[in-house]
Amino acid sequence: MLEVQHLHKVYPNGTRALTDVSFQVEDGEFLVVIGLSGSGKSTLLRCINRLIEPTQGKILWDGTDVTAASGAELRGIRRQIGMIFQQFNLVKRSSVLTNVLAGRLGYVGTAGSLAGVWSSADRASAVRALERVGLAEKAQSRADALSGGQQQRVAIARALMQNPKLILADEPVASLDPVLSHSILQYLEQLNREEKITVICSLHFLDLVHRYATRVIALKDGEVVFTGLPQEIDKARFKEIYGEDAIEVKAGLSA
Amino acid sequence: MTPEKPNRWRALRTTLTAVVVLVAYILAYRGSFVASDTPIDLRRLFSVELWSKGGPLLRDFLTPDLVDREIQPVTLQLPVPVPCGSAENGVPATTGPRLVPSVPCAAPRDKFRVEGFELQPDTELQLRWRLPSGQYFPGPFITTDADGHFSAEFEARPIVATKDGVPGQIEVELQVEVGAVKLSRAFFDVLDGVIVTIFMALIATAAAVVVAAPLSFLAAQNVTRRGRVGTAVYYLVRTVFNILRSFEAIVIATLFAFWVDFGPFAGVLALTVVTIASLGKLFSEAVEGIDPGPVEALTATGANRLQVVWFAIVPQIVPNFVSFIIYHWDINVRISTIIGYVGGGGIGYYLAQMINTGQDNKAGTAIWAIVLVVWAMDFISAEVRKRYT
Repeated sequence: MLEVQHLHKVYPNGTRALTDVSFQVEDGEFLVVIGLSGSGKSTLLRCINRLIEPTQGKILWDGTDVTAASGAELRGIRRQIGMIFQQFNLVKRSSVLTNVLAGRLGYVGTAGSLAGVWSSADRASAVRALERVGLAEKAQSRADALSGGQQQRVAIARALMQNPKLILADEPVASLDPVLSHSILQYLEQLNREEKITVICSLHFLDLVHRYATRVIALKDGEVVFTGLPQEIDKARFKEIYGEDAIEVKAGLSA
Repeated sequence: MTPEKPNRWRALRTTLTAVVVLVAYILAYRGSFVASDTPIDLRRLFSVELWSKGGPLLRDFLTPDLVDREIQPVTLQLPVPVPCGSAENGVPATTGPRLVPSVPCAAPRDKFRVEGFELQPDTELQLRWRLPSGQYFPGPFITTDADGHFSAEFEARPIVATKDGVPGQIEVELQVEVGAVKLSRAFFDVLDGVIVTIFMALIATAAAVVVAAPLSFLAAQNVTRRGRVGTAVYYLVRTVFNILRSFEAIVIATLFAFWVDFGPFAGVLALTVVTIASLGKLFSEAVEGIDPGPVEALTATGANRLQVVWFAIVPQIVPNFVSFIIYHWDINVRISTIIGYVGGGGIGYYLAQMINTGQDNKAGTAIWAIVLVVWAMDFISAEVRKRYT
C-alpha cells in the first residue's frame, strides 16, 4: 500500500507544483491521475520514487518512509517501482536487449554490470520480458530503430525486469498515435490484473480514463480536486477539473 | 558545441594563411638583422633593402631541398714550368673540363691568363698553384659564367719554381656530381621530423583522453553538481580546466623545456596539459548536452550513480567524444609544430634549426612538409568525423 501524506513541492524558482496532496493507493489498483498540463501530475509521480525531492510531507510504501530513505535504501525502494515515461527514455544508441537488461541494474553488482557481464538468468528473463511485449525478434536492434509504440513496449519490458510491485506511468501514451494508446495501456492493464502490479498512471484523454482506471484522482494547480471512481466524472466534474472552457476530446477507437 | 564542418577548401585556406604568416614572420626575423632597431614604418614592408634580402630567401623557400646527387671533389691540374725549360710543358686537354693557360710556361713574376672551359656554370671556384712540395699556394677566387667558362689573370710567383725537376701546377678544385639523383638528406630529416611530430600529437592526445574523459564527468553539471561535496568538486575541476586553458601551449612548452630539457618529451608533456584542458571542457559540455531522459529512467530502476553514467550517459556521448578526439589530434599536429619551434622536437625544431643556420632550402623543405601534413590531417580528420557522426 502506498500512502501519500500532505505532500508539498515548491520548485527553487518559487513555482508551487504540489500543495497538500494526500491519497492512498491499495495494492492492485489502477489509479489514474488526471489534470491539465502543469497541474502537477508529473511532479507527483516523480516524488513517489524521489526523482524529485518533495519539499514537505511523507510518502509511505508498505510502511517504509520513502521520503526519509537515502543511498542504498532508496535504491532498494526504487528497484521495486517501475517507471514508464512519455518520451520512453530509452538509451537510443544501445540495443533493445541492453535497454531491457538495464532494468536489472538495481539488483546486480556495479563491477559486473559495468563490464557488461549479465547472468544467464537475467538474460533469459530479458528475453521473456521482450516476448511478453511482442518484441523478442528486435532484441539486437538499436533502440532508435524502433517506432514510438515499440519503444514504449521496450520501456515496459525494462520496467518488468525490476519485478516491480508498483508501476508509475507518466503520460505513457501522450507521444503515441491514438491507435497505439490502447495497445500500450492494455499491456499495463494485463500486468495490473495478472501480476497484481499496482499501477499509477497519468492520462490526458477521458475515454481512456473511463476504460482503464479503477480509481481516479484529479489535480488542479497542484491540489487534489477529485478522488473517486471514473464513472463519477460527469460534465460538471469535468468542467471543475479542466475549467469552464474545456471540451472533451476522445482518443478515439474505443477498445 | 560542434566542431567545424568538414570543408576541404576552408582547410586549404586556413593552411595557406598559416604558411603566409609563417613565411612573413621568418622574412621579418631575417630582415631584422639588417637593422636591429626597427621602428614601425609600413614603408619598410616595400623597401628595396628588405626585398633584396627577402627575394632570394623566398626563392630558397620555393625551391626546397628534396633531391641531390653524390658529390666528389675533382681536381683539375696542368703543369706550368717556371722558369721555362725547367721541366716539360703541360699539354691542355681539348675536351671536357679543362684549364688552358695563355702561355705553356712562364718566367718568375710573369703574369698570364688562365681560362677554364666546360666547368660548372655560375659557380665560385678558387684558382691556385700546387707547389712541387705538394703544398698549395692560393690564387684568386673566380666565378664561372653560364657556360662554365672563366678567364682570370694569374701570377707565376717565385715560390712555384720547379724543384728537382718537378714543375708547379695550376689547379682548380671542382665539386662534381656523380651517380643517380636520390632523395636528399634533408628530405629524410624532414620525414623523420614529421613522423616525430605526428606521434607527439598522437601520444599527447591519447594521454590527455585518459585523464580528461573521467574528469569531464566531474566537470559536468548534470552528473556532479549534487549536494555540497558534488558542487565543490564540480567547481574545483572546472576551475582547474579554466586555469590550464588560459595558458598558451607555447608558454607551457617553454616551462617544460626548462624542466625536463629540450626535446620531444617536453613537447609531449606540454601538449598533453593543453589537450587535457581543452578536451576536458569539450567533453564536459558534451556530457551536459545529453538527453536527460535515460538518466532519469535508469535512476528510477534503482541503479547507482556509476551505473547510470555508464549505461545512460556513455552511449550518448561516444560519437561526440570520438569526433573531439580526432579533431584534437589534428589540432595537436599543428600545435606541436609550433611547440617544436621553441625546442619541443619534431619538424618544428628542425625548421627552427635550419632557419637559424641560414639553410633556407632545407627550411623550405620543412615548410612544405608542414603544409602537406597539416592539410592532410585536417582533411582526414574532417572526413572521419563526417563519416562517424
